[in-house]
Amino acid sequence: MSCCEKEKEIKDKVIEICGEFNNDPNDLIAILHKAQNHFGFLPKEVQSAIAEVIKVPQSKIYGVVSFYSYFTMIPKGKHPISICMGTACYVKGAEKILKEFEKKLDIKNGQTTADGKFSMNTLRCIGACGLAPVVMIGERVYGNLKADEVEKIIKEY
Amino acid sequence: MELIKSFDELKKITSGLKNKAEKDEKSKIIIKIAMATCSIASGSKAVLDIFNEEMKKQPLESVIKSTGCMGLCHSEPTVQVTKPGSEPVVFGHVDPKRAKLIIEEYIKNGRLIDGVIEVN
Amino acid sequence: MKSKQIKIVLRNCGQIDPENIFDYIERDGYSALGKCLSSGDRKAVVEVIKKSGLRGRGGGGFPTGKKWEMVSNYQSDKKYVICNADEGDPGAFMDRSVLEGDPHSVLEAMAICGFAIGADEGYIYIRAEYPLAIKRLKIAMAQAQEAGLLGDNILGTGFNFNIGLKYGAGAFVCGEETALIKSMEGKRGEPVMKPPYPAESGYMRKPTNVNNVETFANITEIINKGADWFSSIGTEGSKGTKVFALAGKVNNVGLVEVPMGTTLRELIYEIGGGIVNNKKFKAAQTGGPSGGCLTINHLDTPIDYESLKQAGSMMGSGGMIVMDEDDCMVAVAQFYLDFTVEESCGKCVPCREGNKVLYQILNKITHGHGEMEDLTKLKNFSEVIKSASLCGLGQTSPNPVLSTLANFYDEYHEHVVDKKCRAKHCRALIQYKIIENNCVGCGACKRVCPAEAVYGELKQKHLIDQEKCIKCGACIKKCRFNAIIIE
Repeated sequence: MSCCEKEKEIKDKVIEICGEFNNDPNDLIAILHKAQNHFGFLPKEVQSAIAEVIKVPQSKIYGVVSFYSYFTMIPKGKHPISICMGTACYVKGAEKILKEFEKKLDIKNGQTTADGKFSMNTLRCIGACGLAPVVMIGERVYGNLKADEVEKIIKEY
Repeated sequence: MELIKSFDELKKITSGLKNKAEKDEKSKIIIKIAMATCSIASGSKAVLDIFNEEMKKQPLESVIKSTGCMGLCHSEPTVQVTKPGSEPVVFGHVDPKRAKLIIEEYIKNGRLIDGVIEVN
Repeated sequence: MKSKQIKIVLRNCGQIDPENIFDYIERDGYSALGKCLSSGDRKAVVEVIKKSGLRGRGGGGFPTGKKWEMVSNYQSDKKYVICNADEGDPGAFMDRSVLEGDPHSVLEAMAICGFAIGADEGYIYIRAEYPLAIKRLKIAMAQAQEAGLLGDNILGTGFNFNIGLKYGAGAFVCGEETALIKSMEGKRGEPVMKPPYPAESGYMRKPTNVNNVETFANITEIINKGADWFSSIGTEGSKGTKVFALAGKVNNVGLVEVPMGTTLRELIYEIGGGIVNNKKFKAAQTGGPSGGCLTINHLDTPIDYESLKQAGSMMGSGGMIVMDEDDCMVAVAQFYLDFTVEESCGKCVPCREGNKVLYQILNKITHGHGEMEDLTKLKNFSEVIKSASLCGLGQTSPNPVLSTLANFYDEYHEHVVDKKCRAKHCRALIQYKIIENNCVGCGACKRVCPAEAVYGELKQKHLIDQEKCIKCGACIKKCRFNAIIIE
């Protein structure tokens, strides 16, 4: 697909997404969520398309994307791993879980594996503290996790 | 769903629902299964499936409900069973195997099994 | 055992199907709204909430009725009701449970608030990390709309109230009401100076009432059962109940709802089932990153807004993390500062730069390079950050430091002077040692050591080379003779 075709595809999708919210700048966060769900991340091209459609300066869009930890300009892995580092999980050994994932996947927190299969981030409290320590892979929640279970879980994907 | 056109109509509906609930409590087994984030992460969906499947085969009539958090995260998945005329009993750490045991032992034969949670 | 819990906020959680509005209606759902609309008396509704003594459950503890009154007194063509469902405190999951288990209780309360203050539009600002709560809210909103219990001409009374959802995107600071409002307007969640308060100029510069999920979840019971009933529960200054999310090293981890004034001992030992593995209780952290620690000295403190403040902590949203003898309080303070540094919006210098300095000092201490003057610096910086920060995040971020310094000074002292961590947590300050008498020379530890730090011949006493040891703990797990200890 040529560069122009790709740009058009992005623009068309962005127009569709923004249209669901009546191109209202107040709904920028919801628009960005939807755009990220579709494109997998929020590269410059997507941000600039959104800026054009809802008539907000691109710098403001970038300011919002860079402020909120949910939004990423780097492609997420096919299976995004979120390791909860909330207090309850911390107290129940979340650091060990993080180290184990880093070891087994050979990536550091915030990175994506070379094959694009997994990306890893820490989250501040998923709210499942009853099951601490907790890890989410996609929308699936794993609770009461032990470091020696990490390898088995990775193999599920 | 019908539009509720007035407060009086709402009161009537509430009253009707309460009567039905009272009747159900007297004649049916009420089974409540927690389906909050912690519950689902601990495997409660499979437990719900078992109750739905197995209770159909039983002659006793039952009402099976998915509910929110019972606050007992330490023992998820949790299931609350209320037999007509008895106090509710909450079972913890329920998996498909224990679900079948609860049906066989407690629901059918009134025998309590291990893992009952005292709610305080 | 008679229940210590009184379920007001959690009355329906675990009992009704949140995806079936009729379950909610059967339990008198929407009758409080019907009562208010039938009376037609907005002021009376505000008075009931004022009289009940309900205080904001998000952490601030501001009297709810007073807030409603303030907003209702402003003249404006448009007003808004906002429900703060951003529950960002790590360790708190009360709001998530209410939204997943009894979403209608919040919707009904928002409509009642709208009626009382003169608003016809409301929003729930919910964090994106709660997909199940979002799903259940959407179902509840659609069902309520279909039944004419939300939307236009509710129950045929001519009162309109529409609720929309707005999403967070992983910023703790958006729990602060002015930052939340900014976020709702599609902007960076940077707090602004108050006054003006949102009650006067909030969302879209209109009078806005912002309340937490748990605050709203109390409203319908107060309307149905009366202000006197509610104020008969709790203490003089803190009426009603509080939902606590008990987490950490306690046996019965979960959600509990107790009358204000319940003691910490009752919470941890009676309801909470005591400390896991019968270890020694050390501290209970309340108020999340804005709070402090309660220690064994506070076990018999009745928990309410005032007593927690006096103890150097705060109620916060209700997250309570229980810690035992294996938790290092200096590391806990560092953990909270790590969080705060990450979550600071960056707008004001005291918070943005000050918290970084606090973190660096704590990091220095936990890595064995602390000096006595660092302890003085910690205290002084903390006080400056508290008094000079723009918003609640910065104003309370040093609390974990001040609280742990005050209650666990000995531990800080040991880290700095003796270079020891009594909880054996801080890696730089611990050593793995082999007890000569117990070691049989099986070599299991040597084989499993990733750093080749164990040396010794078969059937001979083994030794650990402290220079090479990375303190991973693999050896201690492998040893079947209790021959390895952490010092």
